[in-house]
Amino acid sequence: MNENYINVVLADDDEDDRLFFSEAFDELKINTKVSTFNDGVFLMDYFNSEEAILPEVLFLDLNMPRKSGLECLKELRANQKFKDVAIAIYSTSSSEEDVENTFVLGANIYIKKPNDFKSLKKVLSDVVTLNWQYHTNGLNKDNFLLRL
Amino acid sequence: MIARIKQKSPLFIKISFYIALLIIVVAGAVAFKTTKNLSKSSDLVVETYMVNVQLEQILSYLKDAETGQRGFIITNDSLYLEPYIKSRESINNSFAELKEFTKENDFQQNKLKDLSSLIDKRLNNFERSSSFSINNNLESPKFNPVFFEGKELMDAIRIKIGEMIAHQKEELARRQEDYKTDVLLTPIFLFFLILVSIALVLLAYYRITKDIESLKSYNEALETFKESANQSEIISKHGNWIWNIEENSYTYSDNLFRLLGEQPQSFKPQLDTFMSYVHPDDREKLEEDVKDMMENEHLPFVHFRIIQKSGNIKRFKSYGQTLELDGVKKLIGTTADVTDEFESFRLLEERNAELERNNKELSAFNHVASHDLQEPLRKIQTFLSRLVDKESDNLSKNGQLYIARITNAATRMRLLIDDLLQFSRTNKAEKVFETANINLILEGAKQDLAEAISDSNALIAADTFPVMRVIPFQIQQLFSNLISNSIKYQQENSIPKISITYKRIDAIEEDKLIKPKKEHYHKLTFTDNGIGFENEYAEKIFVLFNRLHGKNDFSGTGIGLSICKKIVENHKGYIFANGTPDKGATFEVYLPI
Repeated sequence: MNENYINVVLADDDEDDRLFFSEAFDELKINTKVSTFNDGVFLMDYFNSEEAILPEVLFLDLNMPRKSGLECLKELRANQKFKDVAIAIYSTSSSEEDVENTFVLGANIYIKKPNDFKSLKKVLSDVVTLNWQYHTNGLNKDNFLLRL
Repeated sequence: MIARIKQKSPLFIKISFYIALLIIVVAGAVAFKTTKNLSKSSDLVVETYMVNVQLEQILSYLKDAETGQRGFIITNDSLYLEPYIKSRESINNSFAELKEFTKENDFQQNKLKDLSSLIDKRLNNFERSSSFSINNNLESPKFNPVFFEGKELMDAIRIKIGEMIAHQKEELARRQEDYKTDVLLTPIFLFFLILVSIALVLLAYYRITKDIESLKSYNEALETFKESANQSEIISKHGNWIWNIEENSYTYSDNLFRLLGEQPQSFKPQLDTFMSYVHPDDREKLEEDVKDMMENEHLPFVHFRIIQKSGNIKRFKSYGQTLELDGVKKLIGTTADVTDEFESFRLLEERNAELERNNKELSAFNHVASHDLQEPLRKIQTFLSRLVDKESDNLSKNGQLYIARITNAATRMRLLIDDLLQFSRTNKAEKVFETANINLILEGAKQDLAEAISDSNALIAADTFPVMRVIPFQIQQLFSNLISNSIKYQQENSIPKISITYKRIDAIEEDKLIKPKKEHYHKLTFTDNGIGFENEYAEKIFVLFNRLHGKNDFSGTGIGLSICKKIVENHKGYIFANGTPDKGATFEVYLPI
């Protein structure tokens, strides 16, 4: 772990979203190191590998080929090794079913992908600088879904 | 009712008959006794008469003897002694008879003894008087006293006989006195007894007739019931059967034969015959059920198919229950043709499956709308915002205008998609009713609209609401839609004022409520000072995609109020709109209590 910058990981199969994500962090004045993965299988392979550097925050898209975000969430929360990784669900939909399921499975926050770049930057900066200890203690279904 | 007749009436009739019988026996006994008394009385009359006759006869014999003796004394001719000798014999005969007649009468017997000794003495006196004549000693001074003694004895005999006759007469008179009362009272008593027994018999007869009449009417009712049962069997396609457990025989109702596709009572009901109609696939199972039925004397609901001779396959349902009548056990069963029911159920199931499929397709469509359509739109919007932020300076005026137009169109599309989603979610979401604090829900709605409210400086005044049984998130949606509607259609250069009032109302007092299901409703009235609308559109505005204004004047998708209506319908409530152009609009929401 490097104290100078925050490790952030995104798993999303959508190329455009990965681009927005990286660009947003580029423009933010926060010291971050961003890694992206094209789907759940790549993500889990990396997490389970020896040289893996576990991020502070993992942004997880739900709808991915091969291995969905939900499956990744299940696997990660089943393993004590990843208990310190904050998991932010990062999805186009905010259907109640998805919100409910991911909350129950132990995700820390639910972000609906914003419609414009400004909002995206604000959301990402809020999430990355969030005090996870404090947030997780008071977590409930109402503040789980991040409202813009 | 039938049981009552069976038990009560026969008992009454039995008792009546027994009493009547007893009365007749008593009457017979009384009549017998009276007749016996009567014959006793007549015996006594005969006896008295005979005694009198014999006594008179004895007296006359004695007189004959006396006359004969006197003749002998005067003439000394033994010819005159003949009546004397004869009378002795006759007196003896009469005496014997008298003794016989009076053997039960001690008084007369005693008198008779006295009389006997007097007669003996008199006869003795005759002998002695006669001896004077035989010896020609009539002149002797001893003769006169002897002769005089004879006269005295004769007088004593007369007196005795007189006494006896008098006694006999007395006896007769007494007896006749008794007999008189007997003769007077017995017929009255007998007549009374006969009257009573006639009354009883009549009463019993009346009861029997009445019972027969009611039996007749019961019979008629039964007959009617039988016919109506027949009809109902035909209408509802069922038949009855009876299994006489002791005899192991069966009876089928007419319609059961019809259900099997046969003429009523066209064959002898038997288990084997019935089984031959049963579908081969169901036969084994039904045979087992029947075996259980015979063991347990009960048939639970069983389903099976039969094949009619015409080849039609029908589905039957049977049920049976034991009944004990007068100690004879029977199993009463009903078999119904449930083919139609089964068919319509199958059809319904098919429809249901189809509906479910449709629903699934719809929700799949929802997902497409919510997720897949949103994604490209979101990217268009994000790229647009990137373009505006980064490349604005490199674009011509026209280019910038086009970009602005594209941004507008994209925003509008976003609105449409969001509202559509909301609408479909209102349709499909689980309807969980909770007792909710409506005041908090209103606060939630205000928070949802915080930006719009602060931008427009809208003033919202609300009553305090009681708790209501609602689907909370839907009511919040309803509130926020109505409030945002009022803010959206505000008049130019004025501050939107929205008031929300509450009233509890009785359904009958509100004419607007058509066929209300509940007696009381919560009435929430939203009033604003917006642009209002012509009242002819009051119903149209709730129709999906219906808009009263141009897109450019007011942003809106024509879905918001449809969602409101849907939500209120989900609560089995009512919503009405009322508008005055340039004055404002009123929305009335009725929710059942």
